[in-house]
Amino acid sequence: MKKIIVLISLALSLFAGVSEGDKAVAFNLPTLDNSKNYSMSDFKGEVVLLNLWASWCSGCKEEMPEFFKLQKEYKSGFKIVAVSIDKDPADAKKFLNSVEGEVGFATPFISLHDVSKKLPKAYRAVAMPSSYLIDKNGVIKLVIVGSLNNKEIEELKQEINKLK
Amino acid sequence: MQYLVLIALLLLSGCSERLVRVMPYEKEYFAQDKMRLSPVDARAEQEGHIFLIREASAGGDSSFQGGCGCR
Repeated sequence: MKKIIVLISLALSLFAGVSEGDKAVAFNLPTLDNSKNYSMSDFKGEVVLLNLWASWCSGCKEEMPEFFKLQKEYKSGFKIVAVSIDKDPADAKKFLNSVEGEVGFATPFISLHDVSKKLPKAYRAVAMPSSYLIDKNGVIKLVIVGSLNNKEIEELKQEINKLK
Repeated sequence: MQYLVLIALLLLSGCSERLVRVMPYEKEYFAQDKMRLSPVDARAEQEGHIFLIREASAGGDSSFQGGCGCR
């Protein structure tokens, strides 16, 4: 009976999402304009906020201007990597352009495109948007489900400063 | 014996009707305007107006209706 329980719990663990302490999922994705590819290893030694978003997701759109401002505050040691899962990268670019107009400066972070939705699948993202704060060694330190408000951004800054 | 039961259950579960779970990152089409129950707000208001007239005795939204559908 014990063996069956162990087997069932092992089977169930396969369906669990990533959590704090897990290694960040490796990827190799093109930028929105398809000019360059980035992989997780490119950010070794830096604190990374991996944001999974889409232009059709209202929560993602709400928090995006905050991410623009957040990245602008950190010149080095911290990078936001925004991964759009839009079918058409033009939709994501169009939205980012509108945010650029709103905040008054160009997109300050790396914008990648994941058309096959490999990353949300690998992370088993339970909501859109989902963000993951990853430390210098590529270990997930914080899983953020849903969009962030101003207060939560402030708390996130404290976490980033701790990891830097 | 227990293992046989477990394996049989696993095999049988393959024949069961599967529930399709749409993951949050797969809701691109559900997020489109045309997927809303009332895709056009103005039309929803119009539909509400027509509904009140059709139901006649339902009690009215803000004014009495004569049944002609006009305002």
